[in-house]
Amino acid sequence: MAAELKYEISQHAYIKLVLHALKHNTTAVNGILLGRVNPQNENVVEIIDSVPLFHSNIALLPPLEIALIMVEEHYGSQGLGIVGYFHANERFDDAELGIVAKNIGDHIFRYFPQAALLLLDNKKLEAVPKGKGQSPLMQLYIRDTSKNWKLAGPDGGSRLVIKEPAANVVLSDYISSEKWQGIVDFDDHLDDIKKDWLNPELFK
Amino acid sequence: MVSKTEESQLNRLENQVDNGGGGAWEYLCLARKLKVRRPEKALKYGLSILNDSKKRYALGPEQWTLYEQVAIAAMDCQCLDVAKDCIKVLQKKFPESKRVGRLEGMLLEATGSRAEAEKAYSSLLEDNPLDQVIHKRRVAMAKAQGNISAAIEWLNKYLEIFMADHDAWRELAEIYVSLQMYKQAAFCYEELILSQPTVPLYHLAYADVLYTLGELENLQIAKKYYASTIDLTGGKNTRALLGICLCTSAMRQLSKGRNKEDKESPELQSLAAKALEKDYEQIADDKLGLLTCALRSLKI
Repeated sequence: MAAELKYEISQHAYIKLVLHALKHNTTAVNGILLGRVNPQNENVVEIIDSVPLFHSNIALLPPLEIALIMVEEHYGSQGLGIVGYFHANERFDDAELGIVAKNIGDHIFRYFPQAALLLLDNKKLEAVPKGKGQSPLMQLYIRDTSKNWKLAGPDGGSRLVIKEPAANVVLSDYISSEKWQGIVDFDDHLDDIKKDWLNPELFK
Repeated sequence: MVSKTEESQLNRLENQVDNGGGGAWEYLCLARKLKVRRPEKALKYGLSILNDSKKRYALGPEQWTLYEQVAIAAMDCQCLDVAKDCIKVLQKKFPESKRVGRLEGMLLEATGSRAEAEKAYSSLLEDNPLDQVIHKRRVAMAKAQGNISAAIEWLNKYLEIFMADHDAWRELAEIYVSLQMYKQAAFCYEELILSQPTVPLYHLAYADVLYTLGELENLQIAKKYYASTIDLTGGKNTRALLGICLCTSAMRQLSKGRNKEDKESPELQSLAAKALEKDYEQIADDKLGLLTCALRSLKI
C-alpha cells in the first residue's frame, strides 16, 4: 500500500459530523468527506468539508445514490472530491466498523484509493466536555493490501489530525449550546427540499 | 408514525412552551398520543407540572399518567433519581400494579441491571403472557445489548401472536435493512402494504428495498411502487419521484444488449423529472442546477 498517509480534517468538517451524530443520538448516522490530496504533499489528504447524509435506513441504496451524485457534482465544481466516509453506530458500546460502512467505503475506495473511513468513538465523545484533548473523536480506518479496512493505530502508520488544534474546545461549546439542533442532513432535504444539506448558516 | 401536520403541531407547541406561552400539558398529551421520543422536553415540562402542587392536583387522576410519562423520559435522559421518585409515588398509589411493575423493569434496564430486568419481565409475562409492552421491552433489551439475532427471534415470535402491530413490523423491517437482509425486509413491507394499502410510507420503503436488491424484475416492481407512492401522496414525495428516475436509469443499464426495453409507461420518467424540476425551481432553486446534472447523469 502507499506510504503512511496523514489525514488532516478541517474543524468545519469535523464539528459538522459530530453535531449530526449528537442530533440523532438514537440511530446510526453517516456522512461523506470531501477534500483532496494536498497539492504540495501527496502524503497528506485534506478533508476540507463534510456532508451529513442520513439518520434512518442507512443501508438503502436510492437515497445514497442520489446523495453521492449531487454531492460530487456540487463539490466537483470547487475542485474537491469524495475522499472518505463517516459513520456513527447506533449503540454507545458498539465500537465495530459494521458491514454497511465497509461496503460504502469500498465503493468510495474504487474512485479514491486513499479513502478514509472514520468511525465515531463514543467513549471519547462522552469525555469531551471534561478533557481538553486535541485528538479527534473518531477512529481512522484505511484499506490495506488484503482489501480489508484496518484501524490506523497509534503505533505509527497513517493518522488523522484536526487542522485547528482548538477544535474540541469549540465543539464543547457547541454541545453546551445545543448547536446540533440546526444541523440539516440529506434525509431532512429529501423530506423537505427547502432544507439545505450544505448547512450554510450553521456556523455563522 | 407521525404525519407532517402532526409534527409541526408538536413543534409549534414546543416553541410556545419554551417561550413561556404555556401549553405544557397539551404538549405532553400530544407527545403521548403520537408516541414520539422527545425525552428532554417531556422531562422538563412534566417536572414543571409535577413539582407545582396546584397544577398537579388540577390534573386529577391524569397525574398518574404524567408520573409514568416523566419516569420514562427521565430514564431516557439518564436522570435516574427522578425516575426512581416517580416510580415510588406510583408504587404507593398502585401497589401490586403490573403497569408499575413494567416501569420497575425499565428502571432495572436503565441502571444496567439487565439480568434482573430480564427476570422481572419474565415473571411479569408469566402472569400476563399477552402484555405487548413487555414483549417489546425484551426485544429492545436484546437490541440494546447488541444481540440482534435474539432481537429478531423475539420480534418474530411477537409478530406471530400480534400480527396487527404495524410498528413492530416496521421495526423488524428496519432491523433487517440494517443487516442488509433485504429479502426479509421486503417481506415485512409486503405484510404492511397488505394490511394498510393506503399508507404511502410502506410503498416507498418497499420500493427502496427492491431497488437495493437490484435485478431487473425487482426494479420493475420498485418502479410500480414508487409510482403508487406518488399517487398516494398527490405527487409531493421527492423520494418517490427520484426513485422513478433511478429505476429507469438502472433498468436501462441492465437491459443493455438484451433488447428488453421497458415499454410500460415511457413518459413516467420524464414526468417525474419535470415534477422534480418544478419543485426545486419553486422551493430550492439554489439546488436546481445539481438536480438537473443528476437527472442528466441518469440520462432522463
